[in-house]
Amino acid sequence: MAKNKISFKLKNKLSELDTLCQKLEGFGESIGLSPKFVFETNLALDELFTNIISYGYSDKKVHHISVTISLQDSQLLFSIEDDGMPFNPTEVDEPDLGCTIEECKIGGLGIHLAKNLMDEVCYQRCKDKNILTLRKHIQDPRPAKKRMKG
Amino acid sequence: MEIIEENHGGINIFKLNGRLDSNTSQGFEKKIFQAIDDGSKSMIVDFKDLDYISSAGLRVILKATKALKREDGKMLLCDMQDYVKEVFEIAGFDSFLPIVGTMDDALQGF
Repeated sequence: MAKNKISFKLKNKLSELDTLCQKLEGFGESIGLSPKFVFETNLALDELFTNIISYGYSDKKVHHISVTISLQDSQLLFSIEDDGMPFNPTEVDEPDLGCTIEECKIGGLGIHLAKNLMDEVCYQRCKDKNILTLRKHIQDPRPAKKRMKG
Repeated sequence: MEIIEENHGGINIFKLNGRLDSNTSQGFEKKIFQAIDDGSKSMIVDFKDLDYISSAGLRVILKATKALKREDGKMLLCDMQDYVKEVFEIAGFDSFLPIVGTMDDALQGF
């Protein structure tokens, strides 16, 4: 039976994006997620993770960001926990999407993508940690069990 | 990520292969701005083998498009996979960036 929960830690460096991708693809495959779902999930987590490591730390030390992904009923739940500076991405202003190319600014775009690709993004600050909780409904559930029968 | 550069009758073509994220976007930015510095005014970015793009990749595309526009140049984006195109749409970039179907369409756009 496929394991329906994984937890792992990422260091605060950009090369860990590859680890994030590998972990997600492996988990997605084990529980039968569609490539589109894995892509969208990867992008949302990438943007939030990149944001944390780009702006969350003022020192040069190695920090660990904890990620947990679990399948519950027909949705995936994600938790991202870091010990960086307090930052609530849900309060970031939405970019102006109706702008022309000259006016277009890139700030806030990553968080805009993450919010759009997830059904829910919640933030809490707890014991000197930022905790993001995300939820995404699986539209096309293909449980691994069923696939194995065929 | 692998970037293959080609020149087709004065048009600089960048074929992206792999993942364009904050880890790889700097390399792409360097190459594309090197071409702009070298005087290139016509560019095509071929997305056929690009599996993934994040806002870091969108940022480079936007920056290069703006820089080319200032030089009276033009950049066309072609052959995007559906997932990748969706990212441009969610970002609202499809409204002002020239995204075309195939490489042939792109070549005819100059």
